[in-house]
Amino acid sequence: MSIPVERFIGRRQQAWRDLEYGLARIRGGAVRGVEVRELERLGMLYRRAASDLALARRDYPGEAITDYLNGLCARAHPLLHRGEPLRPSSVATFYAAGIPRAFRAARPYVLASLALSLAGVAAGWLAVALRPDIASTLIPDSLFDRMARGEVPAGEGTGALTASLIIQNNIRVALICFAGGALLGLPTALALLANGWTLGTLAAAVHRDGIDLPFWSYIAPHGVIELSIIVIAGATGLMLGDAILRPGLRRRAEALEVAAGRAVGLALGAASLLVVAGLVEGYVSPSGAAEGLKYGIGAVSGVLLYSWLLLGGRARGRPPGVSLERTAAAEALAPAP
Amino acid sequence: MSGMQRDTLEVRTAENVGIGYDAAGIGSRFFALTLDYLCIAGIVLFVTLLWRGLAGTGGGTADTLVVGVFIPFFAALVYFVVAETATAGRTAGKRALGLRVIRVDGGAPGLREALIRGILRATFDSLVGIFWMFFHPQSRRLGDIVAGTLVVRERRTEAALPPTAPVLLRTPDAGPAVDGLERLGVKELAVLRSYLSRPGLTPQQRSRVGAEMAHRLLDRMELPAGAPERQWPAELFLERLYLQLASRLGTA
Repeated sequence: MSIPVERFIGRRQQAWRDLEYGLARIRGGAVRGVEVRELERLGMLYRRAASDLALARRDYPGEAITDYLNGLCARAHPLLHRGEPLRPSSVATFYAAGIPRAFRAARPYVLASLALSLAGVAAGWLAVALRPDIASTLIPDSLFDRMARGEVPAGEGTGALTASLIIQNNIRVALICFAGGALLGLPTALALLANGWTLGTLAAAVHRDGIDLPFWSYIAPHGVIELSIIVIAGATGLMLGDAILRPGLRRRAEALEVAAGRAVGLALGAASLLVVAGLVEGYVSPSGAAEGLKYGIGAVSGVLLYSWLLLGGRARGRPPGVSLERTAAAEALAPAP
Repeated sequence: MSGMQRDTLEVRTAENVGIGYDAAGIGSRFFALTLDYLCIAGIVLFVTLLWRGLAGTGGGTADTLVVGVFIPFFAALVYFVVAETATAGRTAGKRALGLRVIRVDGGAPGLREALIRGILRATFDSLVGIFWMFFHPQSRRLGDIVAGTLVVRERRTEAALPPTAPVLLRTPDAGPAVDGLERLGVKELAVLRSYLSRPGLTPQQRSRVGAEMAHRLLDRMELPAGAPERQWPAELFLERLYLQLASRLGTA
């Protein structure tokens, strides 16, 4: 038989009040500045409150004290169970090793994404080659006009303006590719096909007009990075869609969460490179620089990008990636070295 | 507490204790979002003035696009990610309405959850998410589902530590044994305790509530019309009943 609720409350309430007081101190989320000893004590107080909650559930169901303890634990739990704080060093590690590893781990999806893009390119090329008479309606209008006149499409305004718009647009497309995974990857596949289509129709049109070299000199400096990143972003979306369709032993929602947690870093890390590509596209690509130089820039960017993606994070003797499951509370409990 | 309703989430902690959370409704979430967008509007205004000052431009399509598209897009993305990460799930708008983002395992959202929520908000959730929320029992939008998060209401419980002992005004002891006690259980005991220990009732309110309660309890105990307990003053009856029931159930 359980003890009377009054005695239960009387015995334990000081610890609860201590926990409340401690929570109020880290309420805003700032654990910094709170001593380790204090955090350890909070962790202990929280676990005792949680076991008090379990007792109260069993012995005093429906009483005010049970609601009170539930509320107390509900507030304490997220504050004590949280991920690693963001440190500059972890960002650096992420770029040096995390993104390349995630890229290599996503290889089947990258290949699928590439295949979709190439299918779009092929369809676009074929459409223009088979029906030259309607080529102008197949190709996005403004671009075609300029290409057909052999002009290099220059952005409006200054390089900074053009670059920022290009960056925003490309990052948005990359994010849509990732987020489209939540809708079974259908928007992702469409975006990849459409992107390929634009490229394919343009390529066919400029080939027909025999202006390949000047045209590709406009694409090359930024295009290598930009197209690669769109393919990678597409791969992350396909990962999500695949997780929903083939969840394995997990529930679909869980499989989606896990896949998204893995993919989001790759998607955003890749998208951040679009800033570089956008700056090149805003300043270098439309400039009057020699074609050879432009092709050179494209080639160098490609070599750098793929040696990073294929070789980064392969060094031996490095400990496995930091687990994101570690929590502040667990850290506080770890024995001092 | 045991039977979880549809709009609540029970988190099993590492200690294997279930903590119940109330999911926030669409209304309060929408209101919180509006407040957050007001904050973002302020940031956008500030950055726009800065941009105009630095770039020295003030016209043209491209400039309009930068101010109207580029700056708001990134301001919203960065604001939500930074705010949710730095405050353990409480942006300014959510704080104002007593809401918090938590992971479905009860932890605070980290960078990765905030990023996923942010990306989905910037892409599909402005259209698809609204409909999704309407049909989801816990009002989770697409971003919540992909990130494995949930927006909950934080209950204010600081002052809610219940009083420890009921106040007995009318009776010095448990009085003569009452029949039909076996028909009552812990639920009735809890109701009695919360009535007797409730502060802030005027004597009139107390006796009115007490009379209603005594009437219902007497019926539940199935006492005949002529039973002596029905003649006792209601509050005296309730206090005696509390003492007897508590000792019978072994909790007082």
